[in-house]
Amino acid sequence: MAIDGLIILDPTGRPIIQSSYTTYPAAYPLLHIEALNNALAKAPREGSVDPVIYVEELSCSSACCHVEVGGMRFLATISGDVDPLIAFAFLDAFTEILQDYFGVVSVATLKDNFDIVYQLLEETLDSSGHPLTTSPNLLSDIVLSPSLISKLLASVSPATPGVPSVRQGGSFGSNGASGAFTSPIPWRKAGVRHNHNEILFDVVEEMRGIVGKNGTTLVSNVFGKIESNSKLSGTPDLTLTFTNPNVMTDCAFHPCVRLQKWTRDNALSFVPPEGRFILADYQYRPPQSAVVSNVPIPLSLKANMDMGEFGGTFALTLTSRLIKVMENLELKFYLGEDATSAQCTLSSAGSSVGSVGSADGSWSFNSRTKTLQWEILNMRSSGSWILRGSWTSKIKAPRPAHAFQIRFEIPSYSFSSLKVDQLRLSSETYKMYKGVRMRSKGSIEWRW
Amino acid sequence: MDGINLNALSENATRLGMRIQETIAEHTRDLSLTRGGSSLFDMADDKAKNITKQLESSSDREKLDAMKRLIALISKNRPVSSYFPAVVKNVASPNLELRKLVYIYLLRCAPSEPDLALLSINTFQRDLADPSPLIRAMALRVLSGIRVPTVATIVLMAVRKSAADPSPYVRKAAALAVIKVYKVDQAHHPTLLDIMTILLRDRSPLSLGTAVLALDTIAPSRLDLLHVHFRRLCRALPDIDAWGQVDVLRVLVRYVRTMLPKPVPASERQGEEVDKDLKLLLACAEPLFMNKNPAVVLAVARAFYYLAPSSMLSKISAPLLRLLSVSREVERVALAYLLVVARSHPVLFITSHNRFLVRVDDAEQVKRRKISVLLALCTVDNHQTLLREFMDYAQDTDDSVVGDAIHAIGRIASLVPSSTPQCLTALMGMINSKQDTIVSNAVLVLKSLVQNQLLTPSSTSTTTLPTPFSSQQALLTSYIPSLTPSISTSLSAAPLSFTSTESTSVAQAPLSIIAQLAQRIDDIRHPHARACVLWLVGQYGSVTGTKTTVEGVADWAPDVLRKAARSFNTEASLVKLQTLTLAAKLILLAPTHRTLVLLAQYVFTLARYDEDWDVRDRARMLRTLLVGAVTGIMGSNDEEGIGENWNKEEQAGRPGVVLRREQVTRVLFEGKTGTIEEELVADARPLGTLSLVMESESLHLHDDDDDETVIDLPEWLEQGIDPALRDSDDDAPQVALSVQAISSQAISSQRVPTPTGSTVVLTPIGGSTPKDTKDWRDLNKFYASESESEDEEEEEEEEEEEEEVEVEEGSGIGEDSGEDEETSDDEEDEEEHDPSSSHERTS
Repeated sequence: MAIDGLIILDPTGRPIIQSSYTTYPAAYPLLHIEALNNALAKAPREGSVDPVIYVEELSCSSACCHVEVGGMRFLATISGDVDPLIAFAFLDAFTEILQDYFGVVSVATLKDNFDIVYQLLEETLDSSGHPLTTSPNLLSDIVLSPSLISKLLASVSPATPGVPSVRQGGSFGSNGASGAFTSPIPWRKAGVRHNHNEILFDVVEEMRGIVGKNGTTLVSNVFGKIESNSKLSGTPDLTLTFTNPNVMTDCAFHPCVRLQKWTRDNALSFVPPEGRFILADYQYRPPQSAVVSNVPIPLSLKANMDMGEFGGTFALTLTSRLIKVMENLELKFYLGEDATSAQCTLSSAGSSVGSVGSADGSWSFNSRTKTLQWEILNMRSSGSWILRGSWTSKIKAPRPAHAFQIRFEIPSYSFSSLKVDQLRLSSETYKMYKGVRMRSKGSIEWRW
Repeated sequence: MDGINLNALSENATRLGMRIQETIAEHTRDLSLTRGGSSLFDMADDKAKNITKQLESSSDREKLDAMKRLIALISKNRPVSSYFPAVVKNVASPNLELRKLVYIYLLRCAPSEPDLALLSINTFQRDLADPSPLIRAMALRVLSGIRVPTVATIVLMAVRKSAADPSPYVRKAAALAVIKVYKVDQAHHPTLLDIMTILLRDRSPLSLGTAVLALDTIAPSRLDLLHVHFRRLCRALPDIDAWGQVDVLRVLVRYVRTMLPKPVPASERQGEEVDKDLKLLLACAEPLFMNKNPAVVLAVARAFYYLAPSSMLSKISAPLLRLLSVSREVERVALAYLLVVARSHPVLFITSHNRFLVRVDDAEQVKRRKISVLLALCTVDNHQTLLREFMDYAQDTDDSVVGDAIHAIGRIASLVPSSTPQCLTALMGMINSKQDTIVSNAVLVLKSLVQNQLLTPSSTSTTTLPTPFSSQQALLTSYIPSLTPSISTSLSAAPLSFTSTESTSVAQAPLSIIAQLAQRIDDIRHPHARACVLWLVGQYGSVTGTKTTVEGVADWAPDVLRKAARSFNTEASLVKLQTLTLAAKLILLAPTHRTLVLLAQYVFTLARYDEDWDVRDRARMLRTLLVGAVTGIMGSNDEEGIGENWNKEEQAGRPGVVLRREQVTRVLFEGKTGTIEEELVADARPLGTLSLVMESESLHLHDDDDDETVIDLPEWLEQGIDPALRDSDDDAPQVALSVQAISSQAISSQRVPTPTGSTVVLTPIGGSTPKDTKDWRDLNKFYASESESEDEEEEEEEEEEEEEVEVEEGSGIGEDSGEDEETSDDEEDEEEHDPSSSHERTS
């Protein structure tokens, strides 16, 4: 009664790697795979598959929880009346570990390193169905990463006791076991040494909003995330303070953050794990916390839609309301499952900078997903971009989506203008390099 | 001396250099194939023959290669047990990487080769005494994972030994092993419970969570074992790892519900009465809302939802809302839980209802759940916004979402009666849509709205909120009782009474809605919707005015019957049945109208030869019913033969009761109840369960192992048990502090950052491990000094403050003896309980 196992399916739906189902009938994992593949085949459009699929064929209650990672499907099978959130949290943790080990998680990297994936699986999920060790720092002591150095270390026979560990600090020697499980901090490995100590923070904020038919913002929230990459020696005890911590609300932290300190002083005090990790999640609380707490949306869209029989015409005008340049703007419009084709022309008007060529963007129609996509690589402030066109449909009364999906990125910008005041290091004496970067993106639904 | 050393060094160095060169050469070969993994993975099956040879070679590299091939075979579901003997030989290999692969192989294949698996048992037993905690933990995991019942005693011994291991990681493995042993053979239950008492006393938060989980698995009813640990578990909660937090919280929720008194809500005389242990749990759990792991957040929310006094309930709303933005999958699951909370405590989310607005790229499940949540949050203040939202959702590309949205509009009308005119306008607008789904759903909803309005004016007005519109609402419904055929109300007079306030309401008077529906019958194609319209027309098609062409029947009604009759043969059974009813009702209203009666006869005749026997039965029933009321219904001149035969056989068997027209009217028109609004039944399934997420009643737990964790939420007891049972020496403050030494929770303000040399947390790599294992290799000594080693282990963790450790050791003796007393009490308890329980299991 827990997570029975984990199966990784390649893009064609065949299992590549699966944990052992020794205590279950042989058909057990197969039924789950089949249930998922059936559901995927039946799904009318991308992303519309229920992430929790109940497997009815079995005598016990069982479901498969799946996520998509790098084109593959990771599915965790659960049985009994267990919380599916545990399965999703585990899948998330496992994906993070794979990313940590292989950089890119793809069919190729997993097949190349399948022995390591199996070891990781064995260490992260106990055969009793309960997650075991999921901290990447601890795992790196147990399961060697596929990098060249550790390969060399692993193959040097333990019979040569004089071999100095290539890794300074010798957290694992040739038999790799001496360092494992000895760190007193569950998320940080012991005895790390770096010649160059640095810690970098990336503040990534994402706006999610919905704009109604009449152009009023129905909801817009900004969710932020502080991604960190730490390369610090020893046991660094850090304190990160902000000049405006009150813009953060509904926070969630990495286990290393001392929560009491945050509640008391609004300062993040922590001993970071080694490598990449997400320090905190937060929601931006606009200062004028009036009744409407919507964050202003940095662009506007005017849509003239004309629905006819067997298709329709449209004219979309996008205008930026931001002084900064927006990048990789992408507008998606689902034309309905019976859509057959689309024709568009692009133009831009009133652009003060004066632009021509590819910067103005491009459009495409994906006949498989039935989605019209409009991309603008660089969208400067002032000036507007126009997409006019028409589409055709097989049925008399076409049924396109009633909203446009707009995504964009704004480099070196944050909606909350969260500012790091200082980062103090105690318990270690070395100098470290510190860096903070800001990045924002948005995902807006614009109804028409 | 120096010279010799130098010589030796240089010699070593050259040897090392050569060695490294060799390995580099070896591995660059590997690397050129991008680690060669892919080629191994997709290797052809015939190459598998070499595996045995490779396994027996002397080179680790060859062996590793062979093991990788084997594991590739495993993942392709090929039979691999034939390699078992060759693999087992490598189980003691000094190369750790090789050994780990061997472990993986053994775990998968041991159950099918129990005899051969026994060969490896010795090695694992030896490994249990390895200085490295990693090896010890792995050995125990493999040993317990082999699942060969014959070795259960050996495994049990290993588990008992590991339960007192100095490393918390090994103790964690021991707790998990308890679960596995229990699953293989439940006869060991008493011994395992014994081990559990050791494990539960664990001081390290690393292994504590798993210990609680193990107890919950093997003895879910033995919550009494947790008495002395309750407070310590609460305090250690922030330091347990995320997975453990989920398990511990689940068990503690059950503990509190069975052992503690229910919080007394505040009354005017006194404030809330909350047990102090419950307060402690909630206070310790609350910071976990800030955990990144969604499962933990839910577990805490669950604890608050089921345990906390109502004043503290508001704390769960923000964390639960945060789950919505974690990922699509988490959003999907969290919505199922949010729906339950929103239905029982809408106040918590009313201000943040816009977090539930549907996006077009949401999955269907998510959209539908969001609509349900929005409905649960509908109030007089926000119904306008919600109505606009639902109207937008009716444009969705998903049929089920369209249906839900339109039904939601109907619900708004009944939840906020003042909004009824608006809702009706919205729905009437949808009737003109080009999309079939929208039209048919709108008709269905309109039907129930109109019907409820016409039939149950009293119930509508009682739920009416005192708003400016309510008076108008009352007006709208006031003339409804008069619509039964016996009492006369002029249809044309009805709209006049509404000229005052809103013009929309004029158009949406129930009868005019039916009229409009009747006129659009051709566009309403969905069988269910068509049937609804037919029924409405028949039920409310009576008018005793003067201006109608057919006496007593509204102008729009006969034409509906004509159209339905024309398409009768192609309709669904559902529509046919309603056509019959409509025909019967209309001729009853106008029994003398020649055309109508002919139409009805035509329909009845068609129905008599219908494929569906329900339709045939209904026709026969209605016809018989009408015999006394309508002349000529039993067959007329043009279908003489059939009618006559039918007449004969029917009349022969009928005892001659013929109903008068008034009686038939009563039968056909009256006694109709309004559509029953689906009651929002409080969901019995607790939060955090699969069955709630899947909304499936049919879900059942494993029947075969019902001894497994019971998630079910017990009811509160009348009275809690004596809180003194929870007293333990652990309550001494310094223990709590020491547990939090590595805490993320508490930064000890008195902890002075030490300069270089002595780091904040000392790693016990060097000194402590050998010392421990010395005791530990000698089993007898080890058991004798069980409690001591535990203290030592504590010391390892708490070396950061020497003085404190010493203080603790001083008090530790008293503490331990105290604890021993308590455990011995527990053991006595077990002796009382266990024989019976194990008996049950074996029988």
